[in-house]
Amino acid sequence: MSPGRRLRDIFRNTAKDADDEIAYHLEMRERDLRERGLSPLEAYVAARRRFGNLDTIRHQLRAIDDHAARRERRTGMWTDLRQDILYAIRGLAKAPGFAAVAIVTLALGIGANTAIFSVVNAALLRPLPFAEPDRLVFMWNRTPSGEPNPMGPGRMLDFRRQMTSFAGSAALAHITYTLTGHGDAESVPAASVSSGFFDVLGVKAIAGDTFHDGRADPSSVVLGYGLWQRRFGGDRSIVGGTITLNGRPRLVVAVLPRDFPWPFVNARAGAAGGPQLFVPGGIGDIPRSAAREDEDVSGNRTAGYIRLLARLKPGVTPAQADAEARALGARLSREHPEDGGRTAMIVTAREQFFGSVARPLFVLAGAVGFVLAIACANVASLLLGRGAARQRDLALRRALGATRLRIVRQLLTEAAVLSSIGAVSGAAVAWWGTSALLRLAPADMAAAGAAFDLRVLGFTAVAAIVSAAAFGILPAVQFSRGDLSAALAEGSTRGSASRRSGRIRDLLVVAEIAVALVLLVGAALLVRSFAALSRVDTGIDTRNLLTFDIKLSGPRAEYQVRQVEFYAALQHRLEAIPGVVSAGSAVTLPIGGDDFGTGYYVEGRAKPRPGSEPHAGYQIVMPGWFKAMGIPLESGRDVRDADAHGAALVVLVNQTLAREQWPGEDPVGRRVSFDDEGTWMTVVGVVGDIRHLGPAVPPRPEIYQPASQRSFPFMAFVVRTAGDPYAAVPTIRRAVAELDPALPLANVKTMDDHIATALARPRFLSTLVTAFGALALALAVIGIYGVMSWSVSERRREFAIRMALGVRAPALLASVLRKALLLAAAGVVLGLVGARIAAGLLTGFLFGVQATDAAAFIAAALALAAIALAACYIPARRAVRVDPVALLR
Amino acid sequence: MSERATTVDLLQGTLATLILKALSWGPLHGYGIARWIEQVTEDDLLVEEGSLYPALHRLQARGLVTSQWTLSDTNRRVRCYSLTEEGRQQLRAEMTRWEKFSVAVSRALQARRPSKVV
Repeated sequence: MSPGRRLRDIFRNTAKDADDEIAYHLEMRERDLRERGLSPLEAYVAARRRFGNLDTIRHQLRAIDDHAARRERRTGMWTDLRQDILYAIRGLAKAPGFAAVAIVTLALGIGANTAIFSVVNAALLRPLPFAEPDRLVFMWNRTPSGEPNPMGPGRMLDFRRQMTSFAGSAALAHITYTLTGHGDAESVPAASVSSGFFDVLGVKAIAGDTFHDGRADPSSVVLGYGLWQRRFGGDRSIVGGTITLNGRPRLVVAVLPRDFPWPFVNARAGAAGGPQLFVPGGIGDIPRSAAREDEDVSGNRTAGYIRLLARLKPGVTPAQADAEARALGARLSREHPEDGGRTAMIVTAREQFFGSVARPLFVLAGAVGFVLAIACANVASLLLGRGAARQRDLALRRALGATRLRIVRQLLTEAAVLSSIGAVSGAAVAWWGTSALLRLAPADMAAAGAAFDLRVLGFTAVAAIVSAAAFGILPAVQFSRGDLSAALAEGSTRGSASRRSGRIRDLLVVAEIAVALVLLVGAALLVRSFAALSRVDTGIDTRNLLTFDIKLSGPRAEYQVRQVEFYAALQHRLEAIPGVVSAGSAVTLPIGGDDFGTGYYVEGRAKPRPGSEPHAGYQIVMPGWFKAMGIPLESGRDVRDADAHGAALVVLVNQTLAREQWPGEDPVGRRVSFDDEGTWMTVVGVVGDIRHLGPAVPPRPEIYQPASQRSFPFMAFVVRTAGDPYAAVPTIRRAVAELDPALPLANVKTMDDHIATALARPRFLSTLVTAFGALALALAVIGIYGVMSWSVSERRREFAIRMALGVRAPALLASVLRKALLLAAAGVVLGLVGARIAAGLLTGFLFGVQATDAAAFIAAALALAAIALAACYIPARRAVRVDPVALLR
Repeated sequence: MSERATTVDLLQGTLATLILKALSWGPLHGYGIARWIEQVTEDDLLVEEGSLYPALHRLQARGLVTSQWTLSDTNRRVRCYSLTEEGRQQLRAEMTRWEKFSVAVSRALQARRPSKVV
């Protein structure tokens, strides 16, 4: 008998015990007093007087005993728990195969969930590392189609002055600086920000002091932590010193903290590697644009390069600010027709940084949730199989006085022990898996990173508890029934209870197959979608095509004529390199690079309303770009050196624009304009379409202008080589260095790699969902294998008899497989229904394949059914190979 | 009344020690303990016999004594208390403490008038 039990017996009905005790005392005292000669009445009174106040004493005893009993119960519970845990561990040690399968299953299920959650935590739950991050928002121009867009300086100044929702605001623009000295010349992404930028964010420097609202030395610079470490070895004395940017000295005033993760702020949500340097704005505290660093641009309302950051006043919601932004944006557009009819919009900082990560993460979270569900079903099924053998043992324990609750508690403790071990191993799986996951992840998700903190720990604990409940409750209820006579009478042949748990296991297998199928269909859809994306003809011939960026600085960058001279000279040198087939350059590298667009007018057409003029992509090219890219010239001619500064303005258009504006006609000789002041440019050629915005986006209208008539101090070069493009890189570097030793070559990569980056997200998603689908499939196979093995071993006597009666093995095999087929079919039908619903949620991720794609559904269902049947075949074969004579004896 | 209360308060700790002492020769029921205290103290200490029981139950809750129900000669349910090993140790500790205390107090009470008060 346990000490807990003994003490409980003692405290059973403590009140009566106390009364008995007191009564005995009084009786004995009366007897003694009577023996000393007192009358019974006198003895009665005296005994009670000597005893004191009966009620008070009773009361005290009750309080003391109850308190002690409660404490005993608690201690007893802990004792029981410790016993249960030891019992469970001993049980697992006795069945190492079962324990290993169950723990590995749970570790994978819980680990996958923890890994995904750690990324969800980093991107969506952990507060951004700024003061009161919930009040930080971005403001954008809002196009008629609802898209966010950067704004021009004049409009930005109006917004900053007039928005009443803002407690403070700051503008920023992305620019690139060439850093020289302290090592090789290097192109560094930077941001030009208005002086209050760091005050709005509430960020303090770790060395020196950042600039503040209205107080910024125009030649100062703030270093990001990464650049400071990498380039300056974390040397604090750099603060107060100067560095050379674009050939000019700049005073380093501060270094930012390590956890200042300022991303590249795109109009569309999504974060990637951001600025590593921060410089104050130019004239009027307006962020400098790449093209006109020292120009007064405060009157410019159309150059859309400015991003506006703001801190909301306390109590103002983003929705309220958004309403104000829309109204103000619309009013400004009425007052200033050049604003192009746009309104404005507010996007929260979290949405801005991580909004693009959220949707794929939800898909992944759903997928790993399914994996865990299958894992739980599997372990439940394993426990049910194992429990059948322990039925007698448990029934015996009940017969010996254990309550049903006690047995349930013991079985649940076993489940909890299993899931705890699974969770600890799962945390290790997650730790390892997350780094692998982030290596595969697209840039925005990799930028969010993973955050292992208390929240993740809590999540893992909850996952373990929920799992334990999920796979523990069925077996616990099943085996605590404890129908003693039945269980003991069952003997070697198993009775109703094990038949019942057999039925439950069948249902679990059906559920596992159904859930696995949902995942497989999802994976098939995403894989087909990714394949379709990879097959898309972007219009670019990517074979042996190398790309890199050039960013000019110093005097050469100041005049367009000198920029173009340099580009032509470089192209000339590149083409002269042996093994280089062709070379060309354009201001933006298609697919995932920058994206310039413009409204335009067609000569001879009625002037459209402001904001409703036709829109086209805008590209600036040097002669030879189309040839180097493999873009066919459909009619007319390429740009040429004769299209010089001051010569007649010319443009080329792509086929899509030609079709839109001049269907069935040759546009060569027509004229278009970017403004409504009659600066007409003649269309001299039509080129083939390319998918400038990426494989998933159909070609849009494009206008190409010769660099000689409009250029910027930066250019993307492409070089087609005869052999391996990377082998040509050293020669190309030399060619550039011969022209300018201080000029860095940035973003060197092949066009194929460049396009692969653009496909990183769909590849990541399809890879991961496929991996989780495979995991689900493996677990489901283990599940169905276990159930079939068990059911076959149940029927061995039956098989032996039937074989003895002359039924041949193939017929028996067929009867076993029939049951498996039935289970698989039920699972597949359910799964297809589930998959149809889940696929609907994937629609936004699919390209070139419908959510109802028959091929994906059929392939997944057939694959699953085939593998499930194969898993049954092995135990079935074993059953019919049995020697009937041996078994029946 | 007030004199009585003082006596009871004073008794709280002492009573527990006396109970442990009473049980040091073997198991006893509550009345037996009361009788023993009555005899050795000549009826002086135990003003209210009832207060014995809360003290006993507290000792049991602290694990210094245990109890068992037995049947008396008259076939009545009787709760018999006995000392646990912990109780025995506690008794030894209390006795040492008490000796030191009483020696100190006696010495103080028998002291002569000090020659000089500092």
